[in-house]
Amino acid sequence: MVPLLFLQQPKNGLKWPYKVNKNKALVNDRILKGSSSMRLASILFSSLILLSSFGAFAQDGEKLFKQNCSSCHRIDDQKVVGPGLAGIEDRAPSREWIVKWVQDPDGMVASGDEYANSIKDYSPTAMTAFGYLEEAQIFAILDYIANPPVEEATADVADAGVGEAAGAGSGTLDENVLRNILIAIAALLVVLVMILSSVRKSLTKLVDAKTGETTIERGTWGSITYWLNTHRGWTGVILLACTLAFLRWGVGYLMDEVGVYQGYKPEQPIAFSHKIHAGQNGINCVYCHTSAEKGKTAGIPSLNVCMNCHTYVQEGPSGTEEIAKIYAALDYDPVNQVYGDNPSPVKWVRVHNLPDLAYFNHSQHVVVGKIECQECHGEIEEMGVAEQHSPLTMGWCVNCHRETSVQVANNEYYEDLHERTPDWHNGEAITVEKIGGLECAKCHY
Amino acid sequence: MSNTKRYWKGLDELHNTPEHQELMENEFMPEATGNLLEREGLDEGKTKRRDFLKFLGFSVGAATMAACETPVTKSIPYLNKPEEITPGVPNFYASTYFDGTDYASILVKTREGRPIKIAGNKLSTLSKGGVNARINSSVLGLYDSARTAGPLKGGEASDWATVDAEIAAGLQKAADAGTQIVILTETIISPSTKKAVAEFAAKYGENVKHVTYDAISASGMLEANEACFGVKALPVIDFAKAEVVVGVGADFLGTFPNAIANLNGYGQARDPKGGKMSRHFQFETNMTLTGSNADVRTAIKPSEAASVVVALYNKVASATGGNTISGGSTEYEEVVAKAAKELVAAKGKSVVVAGSNDPAVQTIVNAINNLLGNYRATLDLSRPLNLKAGVDADMAQLVADMKGGKVGALLIHGVNPSYSYAMAADFDAGLAKVGLTVSFGDRLDETGSKVTYLAPDNHYLESWNDAEPRTGSYSLVQPAISPLFDTRQWQESLLTWAGNNSDFYSYVKANWSELHSANGNTELLFSDFFNTALFNGIYDADVTGEAPVFAGDVAAAAGAIKKVPAGDIELELYVKAGIGDGSHANNPWLQELPDPISRVTWDNYVTMSPAQMKEMGLSRLERGDFMANIVEVTVGNTVIKAPAYPSPGQKYGTIGLAVGYGREGAGKCADGVGVNAFPLANGGFSVGAASVSATSEEHEIAQLQSHHTLMGRDSIVKETTLEEYKHDPKAGNPDEKLYVSSAGSSSHGGGHGDAHGDHGDAHGEEGHGHEEAAHGEGHGEGGHDSFLPVTDVNLWDDHAIESGHRWGMAIDLNKCVGCAACVTSCTSENNVPVVGKEEVRRGRDMHWLRIDRYYTSDMTEEKAEAEGIGAIDKFSLMEEAAEAPQVAYQPVMCQHCNHAPCETVCPVAATTHSDEGLNQMTYNRCIGTRYCANNCPYKVRRFNWFQYHNGSEDFSKNPANDDLGRMVLNPDVVVRDRGVMEKCSFCMQRIQGAKLQAKKDGRKVADEEVESACAEACPTNAIVFGDLNDKASWVAGRARDERSYHLLETVGVQPNVYYMTKVRNVEVNEA
Repeated sequence: MVPLLFLQQPKNGLKWPYKVNKNKALVNDRILKGSSSMRLASILFSSLILLSSFGAFAQDGEKLFKQNCSSCHRIDDQKVVGPGLAGIEDRAPSREWIVKWVQDPDGMVASGDEYANSIKDYSPTAMTAFGYLEEAQIFAILDYIANPPVEEATADVADAGVGEAAGAGSGTLDENVLRNILIAIAALLVVLVMILSSVRKSLTKLVDAKTGETTIERGTWGSITYWLNTHRGWTGVILLACTLAFLRWGVGYLMDEVGVYQGYKPEQPIAFSHKIHAGQNGINCVYCHTSAEKGKTAGIPSLNVCMNCHTYVQEGPSGTEEIAKIYAALDYDPVNQVYGDNPSPVKWVRVHNLPDLAYFNHSQHVVVGKIECQECHGEIEEMGVAEQHSPLTMGWCVNCHRETSVQVANNEYYEDLHERTPDWHNGEAITVEKIGGLECAKCHY
Repeated sequence: MSNTKRYWKGLDELHNTPEHQELMENEFMPEATGNLLEREGLDEGKTKRRDFLKFLGFSVGAATMAACETPVTKSIPYLNKPEEITPGVPNFYASTYFDGTDYASILVKTREGRPIKIAGNKLSTLSKGGVNARINSSVLGLYDSARTAGPLKGGEASDWATVDAEIAAGLQKAADAGTQIVILTETIISPSTKKAVAEFAAKYGENVKHVTYDAISASGMLEANEACFGVKALPVIDFAKAEVVVGVGADFLGTFPNAIANLNGYGQARDPKGGKMSRHFQFETNMTLTGSNADVRTAIKPSEAASVVVALYNKVASATGGNTISGGSTEYEEVVAKAAKELVAAKGKSVVVAGSNDPAVQTIVNAINNLLGNYRATLDLSRPLNLKAGVDADMAQLVADMKGGKVGALLIHGVNPSYSYAMAADFDAGLAKVGLTVSFGDRLDETGSKVTYLAPDNHYLESWNDAEPRTGSYSLVQPAISPLFDTRQWQESLLTWAGNNSDFYSYVKANWSELHSANGNTELLFSDFFNTALFNGIYDADVTGEAPVFAGDVAAAAGAIKKVPAGDIELELYVKAGIGDGSHANNPWLQELPDPISRVTWDNYVTMSPAQMKEMGLSRLERGDFMANIVEVTVGNTVIKAPAYPSPGQKYGTIGLAVGYGREGAGKCADGVGVNAFPLANGGFSVGAASVSATSEEHEIAQLQSHHTLMGRDSIVKETTLEEYKHDPKAGNPDEKLYVSSAGSSSHGGGHGDAHGDHGDAHGEEGHGHEEAAHGEGHGEGGHDSFLPVTDVNLWDDHAIESGHRWGMAIDLNKCVGCAACVTSCTSENNVPVVGKEEVRRGRDMHWLRIDRYYTSDMTEEKAEAEGIGAIDKFSLMEEAAEAPQVAYQPVMCQHCNHAPCETVCPVAATTHSDEGLNQMTYNRCIGTRYCANNCPYKVRRFNWFQYHNGSEDFSKNPANDDLGRMVLNPDVVVRDRGVMEKCSFCMQRIQGAKLQAKKDGRKVADEEVESACAEACPTNAIVFGDLNDKASWVAGRARDERSYHLLETVGVQPNVYYMTKVRNVEVNEA
């Protein structure tokens, strides 16, 4: 039941607090109280789902299968540890027989059941007893096996998979349309100006011809300089406006963007999908990123962590190709389950690059600050390709330190510090800033 | 009596030369800035200004363009992550350092599998958590790119299979021919290694000999102890219990075996709390680390050392009823008598040590200690030290055998006799006659280049081993990294050639099963026993030895004393605190470590009495260009040329020269630095008669002595005597007061700082009580003027220093002996760059922590006034009185002022104050104006004049400039770029680390949990670090002590570093 909780929480629980809009203004919509009440709501909601799930086994065959069977069996006919279960009901004597076998295989063998004895020595390991599964639950699983979901997975791959990497950084559809319209309008205007200008020229010539006077021909550039000369005040205003605009949009944009790689979404050597692992399968972040709670880096999992599951899960929604890359890196033969002696490391592309001069420690934020991964990394469980969600600028760090309260309660360190610093908070919330979280040498040394 | 001494940091300060005055006025030496754009080749280059601007424009443009591209950084995880490694979290492994000279049980800090820092192991009953400069620098030796990458044959790369086969064949041939097979090593304290040697010997028969040779020999002591007690080992000396210590030519805090334990005990006995501290007499030639800390130091000639020992014996014997012996008349009658009297008064609580390598002299020293009842009290031979085992005669015999063609095979480990043996030429001649020559050394150095096979041993951080430094006390060596090169532990090589293919780990383990069975606890599994010992690093067996009884023949010894040749000039060789015997000479941290006494880096030199140099017309480095005259030293047929360097405290008529320099083939940092003094050491380091003559050549000296002066202000080192301290614990440390004019005139508002400039010279360091009187007279007429405690006068708004943490440090000047372990520890922890000799000469050394060394002069301002000596003559008289100065050491790092003057002048707020009392330096914000350094009263800020890590040839000696050397960098500390200021951060990374751990555990930060690198390394606990707001902490206790004061308190910057008055155990007339 635990994976379900985890799956639900990020979706319905904490809202991302610092939405960064296009102008890089920081909008804070999180109130501390609101956040914890939302978390409460999330837990209640999850519990509701849990409760309801007990009443409806039939719909949960898939879940039950994944929780109980999938570490050894697949629903197709491929062998993992145990045999593939496709067509199990055709092979076994009866549904009832299967129920008894699942609940107590040793008993079945001992009772002298012929079919049970024929499969008891299955290699590499015999069937484990699942005494706690009730008949209705086992039936639900069998129903699921008999009617596997139709190619739902492929649809997932399309939006969770590799393809996304290419579109990194491009704007949304709306934006593009808007921009194209603007360009079209600008082009129209230019054409209009040219037409009007030539019309005006022709008219002038006509008038000249009629009146016999000669209008001084200044040419386009000449007219502009003439106008600028005769309207000095306006010229100044225009120059000033141009300069300011250049500074704001040109230089300012450059300066804002230097070294900021928000939205960076590099293609990885293995098309690993957080959406499948953290999202659909609800694997806890620290299952793989073990050092997030211990050290300064969250850590890219070593391949032995991958193999905890992928020894058995040899095919994902997108097929076997990506998982085979793990085997290739480890020089692992999945058929005979042996490791070769010629492994080569996987060279992942680092997504979040903090400069060396900034010290950042994950465990400080995750363990002490009790911050959810999603607060900085965005809805990572929805990302097919991992991307840099936050700008990782100092302003962004500092802003969070200004607004986040320190988790004083139940931490003797902070309680002691709090006692020794009565004048620091004046009854207000103790933010990270108030205990020195904005000081230079807290991160730069 | 108030403190009437005048301190000066160098002769040029004493003489107050114009160059010196100019230096004092400038924070940065003029040469430094002048040279910045005049580096060789710059003006000759083809790059014109316009080209330069074009390049500049292009590179700015290119950089901007490049900045828009996302840099691709790869993250490569482990394939199979070891369970114990978490990236970013250090692991510590207990191990042991022993190189034949220094022993310490240590903790090796590793990050992502690479060792980056060595600290002492506090569980050790011997080294007690202390280390010295060489030990904590040894981690850099691992990443020495001069190490050979694999076995060599005749200097050419080979492979182990070939080398093994050929050596085994060669050994068999030598054994068959009946010639000797000799294993020549440093002292071996490893029981398992001894067993491996024995196994090797068993394989090749009776002709196998194991000869122990120590470059720094303790042969005299070993032979004397064998004769007197039947124990060929050294006593464990408990300086903590010794109330009176007499040293005769013995540098027991510097170069003695077990010096780290000595330092710890000595430090404990130097605590005046309770009115009791040890009293230390020292008779010596050169100013040594030990002598500079003595209460009563008497300079003697090397040839007089034996007479002093005999005289001391006779005095003690007549007072305790022993038999006197003949001889021992010296001109130091008075001080010897005083020392003897005090020794007798402190019977059983005293120690006499001598450095002589003459067994006869050491026998008499043993006899003195025996008469005083010091054995079984302060000296323990029941479980003796095994740290030295080499007997000089054995080596002499070996060389004779080699030359006689009796040696068929020679295997050399851990020693470099072609360099360090006094008669290296004889050794080399013998080596040529040996059939099979193998060295286990790691490079083609002096010996390595002369042997046929080089079978390189692992670095000790790559090795398994064990050690028994003291009988019954064991420690283990465990690898902290896999071998970086294709090297093999020498024990494994020996075993391989003996036909045993066991790896040495299994071998050590098997050997320890004997210790396990002797342990007596049958329920303790061997794996638990071994793993506990491995975890702790040490294992003390429950054994008590029998203390042997003295049976020495003093009278015979008195007749057998080998005379050190006397002469007008006598030579005493010595060992430096940094370089030691020269085996670590390729370690740039040690080369750049300023010698505690001379403050010179990257050199050895002939130390001479300043008076004698004046007579000989030699430069005393007063000119400001730090050029020293080269002199020629002749001993017998050996002639050596070295620069002469003035050393106050050196006995007139003597010279000193450090060994460990002048290496060849040792690597880029060692080769060609200094001269090799070992050829002079025929018959020990007390060489005696020599001749010195001046030459016309000059030599550049890189000294730190006159840099970073404290602008002539005093109230820096405060000191008193034990007697005065007993009367008043605040003696020598009166409350500082400021003169404040109520008229509010700004010229008076500055208070003491200004006033001192005016009156400092006239009144000297009279203590501030006197100052008060002087000011009272001067400004009395105003009527409204008053004296206020420094703390009441404030130019700044106060920080809330009482709340939260306030990190601080307390340095007890009484315990600081100047050993410099803190300096290298800081270098290693904080990625301090090595800048090289040229840059040091320009005053651009980068050490965050320096140890100022101050000499006293006997001449006082009062004396000059009383005798009517004019200001000009006064200084030359001071020089003449400087033959026997007292010395004070003062470690100075950033003082982390609460009212830091550097913070107020930074235009970009790159240096700011933290809530926790730290003065923070933010490198990425710094634009390099250097205003902060100019405004720092303590001169502790260091500027990065160059990119010391960009691969430039100029800084090729900096470890960060070398692919291998870079591995030693601490990943938690930024490597600073050109153009930024840096300084001591109080080991911010450690503070943050400890706080984080406490937060994660949900508890307070414990006292002593945060230790700065300097405090961690300090073997005497002179430096203590912690939270001053934690009232129960060690550091807060010291800060409250009556002896505590701040450096330049009257400046009013309120530092967070406390110093504690130095208390000398001297009588008034000795001071």
